[in-house]
Amino acid sequence: MAMQSIWSGTISFSLVAIPVQLVRAVEPGRVSFRLLHTKDYSPLSRRMFCPREEKMVEPEDIIRGYEIGPDKYITVTDEELESVSPERSRTIEIVEFVDLKDIDSIYYDHPYYLVPSKGGEKAYQLLAEVMRRTNKAGLAKFVMGEREYLVAIKNIEGALSLITLHYSEEILPDDDILPGASPIETLETARMKKIIKEMTADFNPAEYANERRKSILTLLKKKAKKQPPVTPPDIEDDEEGPVDLVAALEASMRKVKKNR
Amino acid sequence: MNKKVTQIAGRNLSLSNLEKVLYPSTGFTKAHILEYYRLVSPYILPHLRGRALTLKRYPDGVAEAYFFEKRCPAHRPSWVATAEIARDNGEQMTVCLVNDLDTLMWVENLASLELHVPLARADAPENPDAVVFDLDPGNGAGILDCMRVALILRDLLAGLKLTCFPKTSGMKGLHVLAPLNQKKMTFDDTKKFSKSVAQVLERNYPDLVTSKMAKEQRVKKVFINWSQNDSSKTMVCVYSLRAGERPTVSFPLTWKELEHLESNGNPDKIQVEQSEAVSRLKKSGDLFGEMLVMKQRLPYI
Amino acid sequence: MTGRAIWKGNLHFGVIDIAVKLHTAVKEEHIQFHLLHKKDHLKLKQQMICAHEKVPVPPEEQIRGFKQDDGRYVLVTPSELEEILPQDSRVISILEFVKTSQIDPRYITRSYYLEPDNPSRAYLTLAAALTDLDVEGICTWTMRKRSYLGALQMSGKILRLNTLRYADEVVPVSSLDLPHMSISEKELHIASDLISHLTASFEPQKFENEHEKKLRQLIDKKARGEKIVILRPRRLKPTSPDKLLQTLEASLKKVA
Repeated sequence: MAMQSIWSGTISFSLVAIPVQLVRAVEPGRVSFRLLHTKDYSPLSRRMFCPREEKMVEPEDIIRGYEIGPDKYITVTDEELESVSPERSRTIEIVEFVDLKDIDSIYYDHPYYLVPSKGGEKAYQLLAEVMRRTNKAGLAKFVMGEREYLVAIKNIEGALSLITLHYSEEILPDDDILPGASPIETLETARMKKIIKEMTADFNPAEYANERRKSILTLLKKKAKKQPPVTPPDIEDDEEGPVDLVAALEASMRKVKKNR
Repeated sequence: MNKKVTQIAGRNLSLSNLEKVLYPSTGFTKAHILEYYRLVSPYILPHLRGRALTLKRYPDGVAEAYFFEKRCPAHRPSWVATAEIARDNGEQMTVCLVNDLDTLMWVENLASLELHVPLARADAPENPDAVVFDLDPGNGAGILDCMRVALILRDLLAGLKLTCFPKTSGMKGLHVLAPLNQKKMTFDDTKKFSKSVAQVLERNYPDLVTSKMAKEQRVKKVFINWSQNDSSKTMVCVYSLRAGERPTVSFPLTWKELEHLESNGNPDKIQVEQSEAVSRLKKSGDLFGEMLVMKQRLPYI
Repeated sequence: MTGRAIWKGNLHFGVIDIAVKLHTAVKEEHIQFHLLHKKDHLKLKQQMICAHEKVPVPPEEQIRGFKQDDGRYVLVTPSELEEILPQDSRVISILEFVKTSQIDPRYITRSYYLEPDNPSRAYLTLAAALTDLDVEGICTWTMRKRSYLGALQMSGKILRLNTLRYADEVVPVSSLDLPHMSISEKELHIASDLISHLTASFEPQKFENEHEKKLRQLIDKKARGEKIVILRPRRLKPTSPDKLLQTLEASLKKVA
């Protein structure tokens, strides 16, 4: 609901079809140095510009083109793109299931989440729950925009996550850099395993993130003392409702704070 | 099995398992629950009337499994009022409308300890009567923090000339509602409004308030669940029992009382249990009565 | 062939140091499009605009800031940024080891092969130990002025280093606000059966990128001036929740 949908369609396995939307699973982290406008400290964002007119171009005026020569392009519309593989542009058909442990992590490319559209909530949860119980992932191919993806769909914490996979031809062979086999001393192995066991813990990604943020904040403390941190103007987010409402709320807020 | 057939206004209603203890901590039985709801019926019925009921049934008591029921049980007496609601897939579903005392008793006989209803009436399911600010304390925060937020929220909305009313959820949070009672109001409007309010409060009180649902964002903060303003969502009805360890009630507070409780700093004195609910209602009447009639507009929407 | 190593480092934990060379493990190639202005097919360029005023902002009016918890930004100049950014070192520090099954794929970004820099018994010992204990090493290192978090794993015959995202870059499942539906054991049972029938071994080489070929064909057709027939994408009718059980049963009949 609050998430922006990247793609919408249906996922299917055998005769069951579930209406879904694809949403992001990756977002900018809290450790990022954002570009700001020196004038008012508004965050900057990237937009497409027409070099001749020196004006911003809205998405509806943009078309993709394939370069066949210097400044010579073949344009391709969204509909033409969907026509290329029409059976896979709006449908993710799970053709088989595999054991999760059989998927080598080198194949994982980019993660997304699927969220059920109206009416699909039950079938969605059923698929997620069954994959959780059986420890399996569904494999499928689907087309989104310009590319066809091989994907694995698995249960993560009750949600269906769609992870794009690399094709096997994209995995580079490692034969020429393999270490040779050589007899290993059992004593060394035992010693190393002991150290490893002592250093074994639970995977805690939040901890690594917090450590990194803390260390940067410490480094920034000095700077923050020299020059006080700045506040960007109120309107940072297009999603915050009508400009007037937010302005009115902020005005009311200022009065509230004064009186407290 | 303890069965009893009562006659209310000429209708036969068969009551069963009256001796069954549903709140083990206090020995509260089904008979007690029926009695509670009978006593508060003049106050709760106006808030239930004409709304699609979601039953939350605890057939074996609050310590055992429960289930939600949105569909009106098929084995209902003929006199139970119903409505047809369109479900998400386009199909129709029959829902119960608790329009009178008999239906309330019948529903309670099914051990629906908690009564949940949408913000809109069944005959206009996309037209909410009110906007709700569901204050939910995250891990490490409590009802006192919710009260702090409620007071700031009240002042904020007052600046926009909106009156709102608080009630306990009966569990760990608070609900603050502003009546609208406008024919043209939509959930898109109320959602947009409540989201903006939540975000402004979050920006100005980042250590106390969050507008984000993620559990990590809620630690030690009060989450303003603006997404409750939706046709598919329900809230526990005012004066409904809650299936906690003790028979607490979702009960309205006056702002003066809330200020007093908040400054007192004792979270244990906040929950209202069923016997207190009955006596307070007798003394002061329905503090939530204005929710049914007051007309207000959302500004800038 | 993997090609030349892109970086050299030392795996380090306790008193153990193992010199390694990093090689990229994946190479992607696909048709690239440019973005053009519809009316004159001029190639568009990217510019930074001010979110507030919606006007382009030249580089001299840009400054970097780090967002604090209270929403304010600490400003940093390029030279201050240089100081804050981690210094390169050749050490890949292993902080701890975790069970392989705990690392979920949402965190994995890229994969690198690790070639032992010298014929290294320590390398082989570590590889064997990781295999026996079924663990991966969580490590940090700095490469080209960026700090990385990664997982060191043994796969088949070679050690690999997978870079990981930080937790704050992964959208939490709770924010999806998924509804909780009630599912019957019968439905779960039949679905489970169905999935067993549809289970195969993981053989990724079976899957080819057919779309690339077809896309090139489309472009060639257009270059020749041929007309493109627009086909509507196939849309499946969603299974309604009331028909879920019978659809599962019918599916099972089909595959069993």
